[in-house]
Amino acid sequence: MDCAIVRDEMMEVLYAEATPETARRVEEHLAICVTCRDEMAGLRHLRRDLGAWKVPPLARSAHPGRPRRPSLVPLAAAAGFVLALGAGFALSGSELRFERGVFTLRLGRGADATRELASAEERHRREIDELRAQLASAVRPATESAAADPGTVEQFQALLRESEERQARRLESSLRDLSARTETQRRYDLARVSAGLSYLDGKTGQHVARTTELMGYVLQAAEKK
Amino acid sequence: MAATDEELVDAFQAGDLSAFDDLLRRWERRIQAAIYRVMGTEDEARDLCQETFLKAYRALGGFKREARFSSWLYQIALNLCRDRMRRRKGRTLVSLDALDEEGLTPPRRQDPSPLDLVEADTLSRAVAAAIEGLPDEQREVIVLKEYQDLTFLEIAEILDVPLSTVKTRLYRGLGQLRLRLERQGIRSAAPVPAPLP
Repeated sequence: MDCAIVRDEMMEVLYAEATPETARRVEEHLAICVTCRDEMAGLRHLRRDLGAWKVPPLARSAHPGRPRRPSLVPLAAAAGFVLALGAGFALSGSELRFERGVFTLRLGRGADATRELASAEERHRREIDELRAQLASAVRPATESAAADPGTVEQFQALLRESEERQARRLESSLRDLSARTETQRRYDLARVSAGLSYLDGKTGQHVARTTELMGYVLQAAEKK
Repeated sequence: MAATDEELVDAFQAGDLSAFDDLLRRWERRIQAAIYRVMGTEDEARDLCQETFLKAYRALGGFKREARFSSWLYQIALNLCRDRMRRRKGRTLVSLDALDEEGLTPPRRQDPSPLDLVEADTLSRAVAAAIEGLPDEQREVIVLKEYQDLTFLEIAEILDVPLSTVKTRLYRGLGQLRLRLERQGIRSAAPVPAPLP
């Protein structure tokens, strides 16, 4: 057989793809052809050498192959955070306003409470003034008619002072009540916000307790001031 | 039992895009290794592998099954390698043989550090350099046959050439390699005992 013709079949034998018939034909040729036999032996040896070339551990390509849907977990966490923040914002009585082209953010009820206290004081003062006016108009004819009776005038004046003091005490008491209620509500809101944020941050119960405790200290310190 | 490539292609074409993930997991390493052996650098292997799967993803919807999926994938990879080679040759027209004769390091690999030189596997480097210096057609056949372990039929399908052409390129390529390795002092021609009378 011609050496040139047997070369293709030698490749099949070399890579174990030859049919038994082809393999026998090649073996017969190699038995009588020193050149092809040498070549075949050299190619087998070469194949062993080629095996020495190893591919280094290749880093996986950052294939964009299939466009991936964004994971819903971070999205859900973000949504939860925004909801909790919104709830905390609402509970704390905070306010975001847009007036005359300017955004105004007010945190907590501090400003509200001050405004309420001021308006309550104003209301009470107005009531006192109204009482005074009524009293004055009721007393005037009596005073005029009983100008000669200084005892009656003094009695009216004493009643008036008493009334003023009573109103003042009531005002003070209601201011204290309002302040206490506002403070309680503020603490409750802060605790809710703190708990919500801690939950989102994945903090442990211990951490939450510590945060609440710290919050308590801060509130106590604020009260002392 | 794992789905075949063809079943995964069917699923993808029917709208199940996740089937492509399975195909990618199955073929990524092999394709990347083949590209590495053809191109010779890890960066290019990574880039071109990524590009291969990107192209495959875009074209898989219209894949007509005139060839096996794996053959089609190799075709994409080899075409990308050829494009890259052409661009590379346009930049540096330096004969590797000439470099060998002058005792210089081929330009396609980075200069090894002294430590690398000490630790390097001489034979591995010699083989890599010898394969690198082969004509593209021979190198592709040798990579697909020797390192990807594909059949002659599969290689003929991938390269779209007759079976006999694959064997001829392989035979010539192996002959070239023997010569190159011998030139580097590595004798692949094993001593053959004389035939008995």
